[in-house]
Amino acid sequence: MRHIQPPRWAIKFLRWFCREDLLEGILGDLEELYARRREKMSKRRADFLFAWNVLLFFQPFAFKKRLSLFPSIRLFMFQHYFKISFRNFRKQKAFSAIKIGGFSIGIALFLLIGLFVRDELLIDRHYEKGPQLYRLLNQTNNPQDPWTRASCFPAPMAQVVEERFPEVEETGRLISFDGWYKAGSNLFRPADQPLNQFEERFAYADPEFIQMMEIPMVYGTREEALSKPFSILISRRKANKYFPGENPVGKTVIFNDEEDKPYVIGGVMENLKQTHLSGFDFFITLKEVEFWRGEQSDWCCWNYSPYVQLKAGADHKAFEEKLAEIREDYIFNYFREEGDARVDTMEKYMYTQVQPVGDIHLKSKDVSDFLVVGDEKIVWLFSAIGIFILLLACINFINLSTAKSANRAREVGLRKVIGSHRQSIISQFMVESLFYCSISVILGLLMASAALPLFNSIAGKELAMPWSTWWFIPSLLGLTLVIGLLSGLYPSFYLSSFKPISVLRGRLAMGSKNSALRSGLVVFQFTTSIVLIVSAVIVYQQMDFILNKDIGFEKDRVIMVQGTNTLRDKIPVFKEEVLKLPEVQHAAVSSFLPISGTRRNGNSFWLDGRDKIDEGVGGQTWWVDDDYIEALGLRLLEGRSFDLNRVSDSNAVIVNKMLVDKLGLENPIGAKIFNWRDWTIVGVVDNFHFELMKEQIRPLAMASSAYGDILSVKVETGKTEAALAAIGKVWKEFKPNQPIRYTFMDESYARMYDEVQRTGTVFNLFAILAIFVACLGLFALSAFMIEQRSKEISIRKVLGASLRSIFNLLTVNFLRLVLVAFVLAIPIAWYIMNDWLNGFEYRIEISWPIFVLAGLAAFLIALGTISVEAGKAATANPASRLRSE
Amino acid sequence: MKGTNLGEFEELVLLTVGILYDEAYGLAITDELAAQTGRKSTISSVHKALVRLEEKGFLRSHMGGATSARGGLKKRLYTLTPSGATALQQTRSLRNDMWSKIPNIVWEGGAS
Repeated sequence: MRHIQPPRWAIKFLRWFCREDLLEGILGDLEELYARRREKMSKRRADFLFAWNVLLFFQPFAFKKRLSLFPSIRLFMFQHYFKISFRNFRKQKAFSAIKIGGFSIGIALFLLIGLFVRDELLIDRHYEKGPQLYRLLNQTNNPQDPWTRASCFPAPMAQVVEERFPEVEETGRLISFDGWYKAGSNLFRPADQPLNQFEERFAYADPEFIQMMEIPMVYGTREEALSKPFSILISRRKANKYFPGENPVGKTVIFNDEEDKPYVIGGVMENLKQTHLSGFDFFITLKEVEFWRGEQSDWCCWNYSPYVQLKAGADHKAFEEKLAEIREDYIFNYFREEGDARVDTMEKYMYTQVQPVGDIHLKSKDVSDFLVVGDEKIVWLFSAIGIFILLLACINFINLSTAKSANRAREVGLRKVIGSHRQSIISQFMVESLFYCSISVILGLLMASAALPLFNSIAGKELAMPWSTWWFIPSLLGLTLVIGLLSGLYPSFYLSSFKPISVLRGRLAMGSKNSALRSGLVVFQFTTSIVLIVSAVIVYQQMDFILNKDIGFEKDRVIMVQGTNTLRDKIPVFKEEVLKLPEVQHAAVSSFLPISGTRRNGNSFWLDGRDKIDEGVGGQTWWVDDDYIEALGLRLLEGRSFDLNRVSDSNAVIVNKMLVDKLGLENPIGAKIFNWRDWTIVGVVDNFHFELMKEQIRPLAMASSAYGDILSVKVETGKTEAALAAIGKVWKEFKPNQPIRYTFMDESYARMYDEVQRTGTVFNLFAILAIFVACLGLFALSAFMIEQRSKEISIRKVLGASLRSIFNLLTVNFLRLVLVAFVLAIPIAWYIMNDWLNGFEYRIEISWPIFVLAGLAAFLIALGTISVEAGKAATANPASRLRSE
Repeated sequence: MKGTNLGEFEELVLLTVGILYDEAYGLAITDELAAQTGRKSTISSVHKALVRLEEKGFLRSHMGGATSARGGLKKRLYTLTPSGATALQQTRSLRNDMWSKIPNIVWEGGAS
């Protein structure tokens, strides 16, 4: 029989590690065993067993002597390296502190940003049926009108889609926008408790929606939570608030004191986390709901967000194409039957998108709905900043390690003379780098943990260090290893390359060949810093612009008394009582205010008699009372305010200038316009901002009504406290079972821009840290350069150079680098910030002084940093330096 | 004396080497061990024990006896050294000694 060879690579491996004297005996035994096995089993199995046996021999007893992985001499050397690292650390406390401090700040920031980014990316990724869940988006791509996307569709849409397409397994609808009946905020109380409490975060949902979105339940089941009419699902925190320590399923609750329309709690869900639905505490069922007669089958009004669960394996792109049938047969058909002129543009530009639920959080910034979503751009920007700062920190580490190389040169020379291989010197510095890196990572971790609460409050998150996850500690170790080795690479190769003879003779000949690299690093650091400074200043300026721009109404000294709707028909009387107070100038009742979170709607306006011909102008209709214009300080351009005593004013509207312009009215006063019915314009007010400044001011018509949710009270200057007390007293007389709830209009306005403010704070923080880290780098580099030139400086001094000329000599090179960084930073910063500002309809222009300011700041900081070492070198006694020559 | 104590497995290997006399090499020892004790040991653990026993001076080895099944490679044949034989004997007498000291009552079911 021909001898069959066992796997060659395994033999090779054995030959590689196994002791020569044992090899023949072992290999012979293994081959014999292999031959025996070959008769009994397949080659594959025998090969596998052979390899396994070889692997079992991979033990210290069989190792070649020079290969031994942990022979005592090596171990001893590692101990020695540690000792040397530690001694160096102690010898240069300040320098080591800078080295480790800078590094750990970088790592801490990287960790925090990493946690933030991970959290953002994981939102809505946890559903079991995740790949099958989608929501529908309505996209209008009209070149005349800016691109818009909205999540709202007519009520019957979901059902039609489900019945028509076999690949649809389930559909469910959500109504999430504030002010749609009970969606948004309400006064809320259990039926057996007298006290009305203000609650936000209500939404309407279909029973199926709860199942599709896999809402985690505490009490009750997903199937039954919303299955009965007038049932409601509440979150755990709200259950604890109203029904502490009991199961509230089956309890009755009352909305806005409407005791004739009670709701029953059908279930309690966990507090929602890591989903785009996180904002909601209450889901009200849509089961058998009809907001008006025939509403559920009416294609008129777009208020519902349909979610779709496709069958496993169904292609959502193909499904998206098929939705054209729905548009044709139902949507366009409806408008055609109504004789609506908009149908032509719709046919041309309207498209129905199918968006995976996992994309909602980060890819819906442009969708107009009331969900709180994240910003993909911010996530990427943060990731970039995190990586940049880590890079800066690594670069610093490298620079600082090489900077003090002169001190170590003798050590390296001596080691080489004694017989160190270059390899062992490399591993010495690698160990040292790992040593510093480990300390930095631990410190960074501590810093990050300590800063986490602050970071959470800035970023509006609830992040925690994921200690208990299986990957956290290993990835930290991995990070330590990678960063430690990478940043140790350059110093160790550099330091180990010293020639012993020249070093020991005292000549540390370091060519200028590395200076290009080091200069590049400084330029990189300062470019990053300047970009961040400019960004921080621009964000601040834009914020300032938003808060102080002429917004067309007066937000100061206005108290918004909320929840007046429960006063019902006593609202006008309450208002009269408040107006009688001496501290009060004006008071106006309306649910509609130029503040986010108050009521909104969507309407279309036509010139008289043209509603079947023109496309109409989109806008809002607000219901306000006769004091509204005075209380908010709107500027009346023409005409008059309402007069509730005039009967004809029930048909009157006051419009904003934008509506006049869009309709092209020459003489607006007395003109008739159409929106569901005819209106007569009696007044025109100047445009005022009632949406975020990210959006353009839209057309607006105001009609008169004496009722609403909020009483806006304008008070006398300096009498706010007194007014509040007086109003509180009046309120108590009217509504003893409901505590007064009020907000200040200017504060509510500022809160609308919390996100911008937050962005500003974060940029500030990043800018400060980046500058700090960059300064450490510059400090290291200047220390390095000056050490290199110390003899030159001494000789210059001996020959009579002035202090100033030496100082100039040392600093001018660095300042040149900062200048280069400045030139590079301008276009980068301009591009990024212009892009950010483009998100605002009303924005500042980037002006040159910002750049000059940032450049100057960077320049001064750099100068200050270099001066420390340069000054020291310039004033040092030349004799001490030249003594050894 | 420290370092010359025999572990249980080492003792078994040493005994097997004695049994096989001049045909004691790694694989044969593994086979014999399996036949004698019914327990399967890996070839590497046997080799490891052999190397240690040789370091302790209980075994000595020489090369010889190549076969075609071994790809023409020689065997490392182990034989007991005098100190190996003594060690075995010592272990045995130690055992015997200790055996004899166990009171008979233990063997009679331990009824007390």
